[in-house]
Amino acid sequence: MIVDRVTRFLTSPQNEPFEELALAAFAWQFERVEPFRRLCERRGVSPATVTDWRQVPPVPTAAFKTMTLAAAPAVEIFRSSGTTSGEERSVHHQPFPDLYRAVIDASFPRFCLPFAGAGGRLPILSLIPTPAQLPDSSLSFMAGHILDRWGSPESATAFGSRGVEAAPARSWAGARQREGKPVLVLATAFALAQWLDGLERLGLKFRLPAGSAVFETGGFKGRATEVAREDLLARLRAWTGVPAASVVREYGMTELTSQCYTGSLLGEDPELFRAPHWVRVRILDPETLEEVPAGTPGLICVFDLANIGSAVHLLTEDLGVADGEGFRLLGRAAGAELRGCSLVVEELRGAP
Amino acid sequence: MLRDAFLPATLTHSREPVFRAVERPGIRYSAARWNPEALGRVVAALQEGGAALREIPAHDLLAAWGDTVATFLRTGSLERRALDPPLGRLCELSQDGLRAGLEAVLGGVRKEPAAALASRARPAPQELGPVLAVLASNLPGLAVQPLLPALLARRPVLLKSPSAEPLFAPAFLSALARREPRLAGALAAATWPGGDTHLETSVLEGVGTVLAYGEQAALDDLERRAPGKVVGYGPMTSLAVVAASADFRGAAEGLARDVALFDQRGCLSVVAVYTDGDAEALAGRLASELLDMARIWPPGPAAKPVSAAVQHVRFEAEMRGLRQFALSVREGTVIVDPRPELRPSPGLRTVRVHPLENLERLPAILAPWRGRLQGAALAGEKAWELEPRLVELGFSRCVAPGELQSPDATWHNGGIDPLEALEQER
Repeated sequence: MIVDRVTRFLTSPQNEPFEELALAAFAWQFERVEPFRRLCERRGVSPATVTDWRQVPPVPTAAFKTMTLAAAPAVEIFRSSGTTSGEERSVHHQPFPDLYRAVIDASFPRFCLPFAGAGGRLPILSLIPTPAQLPDSSLSFMAGHILDRWGSPESATAFGSRGVEAAPARSWAGARQREGKPVLVLATAFALAQWLDGLERLGLKFRLPAGSAVFETGGFKGRATEVAREDLLARLRAWTGVPAASVVREYGMTELTSQCYTGSLLGEDPELFRAPHWVRVRILDPETLEEVPAGTPGLICVFDLANIGSAVHLLTEDLGVADGEGFRLLGRAAGAELRGCSLVVEELRGAP
Repeated sequence: MLRDAFLPATLTHSREPVFRAVERPGIRYSAARWNPEALGRVVAALQEGGAALREIPAHDLLAAWGDTVATFLRTGSLERRALDPPLGRLCELSQDGLRAGLEAVLGGVRKEPAAALASRARPAPQELGPVLAVLASNLPGLAVQPLLPALLARRPVLLKSPSAEPLFAPAFLSALARREPRLAGALAAATWPGGDTHLETSVLEGVGTVLAYGEQAALDDLERRAPGKVVGYGPMTSLAVVAASADFRGAAEGLARDVALFDQRGCLSVVAVYTDGDAEALAGRLASELLDMARIWPPGPAAKPVSAAVQHVRFEAEMRGLRQFALSVREGTVIVDPRPELRPSPGLRTVRVHPLENLERLPAILAPWRGRLQGAALAGEKAWELEPRLVELGFSRCVAPGELQSPDATWHNGGIDPLEALEQER
């Protein structure tokens, strides 16, 4: 079965060419995902005509908000976060949660735990809601798996109904500082800012042990907020002692199964995202949808073999630029610009 | 050289603000560097200039206003020749699109409609102080909308331009003050980063009323910092209703204008069309008219994020098997969407045509949008029969297709009487 082939490919890419597996994944989804087949048929595309994975029509992430894209019955249902009750949210029907776990196993340690050693566990502080708190969050699923798989007994989650729980997070940091063993903090940029706000209010400065790292995801993607990100990194260093070079950024989304990471802990450019070998990232011209050369900004398009349960070829709403072996994030497409009195997509997210 | 500020006459020789040259691609102008004290002095100077403003006879004020507007409507005028090239770039409109946009905005405040508004105007109590108008960057020339009623209410005005388009307001004020020097002490325009609390504190303290155009978060922020002073013109949208009995060709021609003007960035830009007639036929005609419109008013350069959002809308429609008339991304997108819910447009002339068996259902469909509905273009008897119910929902403007984006000075933007907001204490 195709899912087994993809799972094997995560750890043994030498057994099968990516290109072959990509076409097989396309054919499998063409057969099973009706809205996707309709898209292909309207474009005169079918497994019989496609010879290259780049020819597979990408599915827009916006489609996850209005239709069911599932190649098999869902085992987990993930929804994108919404800031207001009326917001249209993406729904990802995930039939293969074991594959999702396998993806995390095959990519997370390489970028986030490069010095932990095989099977190594370490104290992890998660500022991300637990799967019990947010059962429909793919990020919570991921954080939960990371804690189970790599967290030592001292690991903890400090997130409650009002966001980051300052007191337990403080106690945790204090205890780990005394122990002197490297730790890992999992957080969204927003949660990280909330934590640092709390430390700043109390004037509590920590020096987390050398070798400690921060896994940061979501938020602060746009250029307009780069100042805020720089500020966040400076504050992180000031209040926890973790330098910017020890912050790993993750690029992932509810609609995707795989993640891309920056190779900060590997001594690489801390703003350059790299995709794992089962993922291909291209940058497309937003007007023509043709691939643009490296250095030209465009729309990020991802071919993720692990997204076999819904849509392997995904057109995201993010803008980026290809750079060597990776890409840089520039911002979000939808609602990137709010214009005066006109009603635009982002502004209306809270509308019915 | 164009400037991003216009100072009250009493401050023209002051040391601050300091001006420096700014270069953007193809644009060069002189920009003021503000600090809280300098801005505070502007507000104080305006307060003093209010006395002269109150002494100007209405006839003289209207004459100067009408003459200035007429000058700015003439594309060959000195002012427009200097302003149009940078303004088109800054507003990301083609030159033809900019001309059409300015004609629509300025046409509504010519001497005649201005006189109609003036006939209702009363001088506001002097203690109300100056008016701060916080402008948005989506529409060129928007400055004239709050400026006219403020002057008719005899209140000095500070126009805060958006950083994205800092040139129109000072150019217009400069021309106006030349025609009526008694106004020179009561007018100011300045540009600074919106939301800068450090800079804005003295301004918000010194003015009596804030007319603010922009996103809801910005309006809420201003209201928090200037409680009770803010009249907000927040995000709103517009649509059209075309009854089966209407002349589709004529309606589509007008709708294309209502969609394409300002490249669909205004709150009066049509984003959806409801019809109880043949939706596909209407959509086809609209697409064809938009194609023509793309030649008459070529679209401006498309920002990548907006193009990307349009691609998402197109793909999503394709996956749902919807009929769509896709021109080039910048020319427009017309989708026949059987789901009746009103959905926002990402811009770039993107319109959904919704078939409705019975137009009577429309008010209920739109009810959740109450408070965010601005204009409706109506064609055909059954569409016009809906007018009272649309007004009850908050629509401030119901007109025939093609006229939606050309309101005059008496229009109640967002349902707000432009004079009432300025003539009394809030």
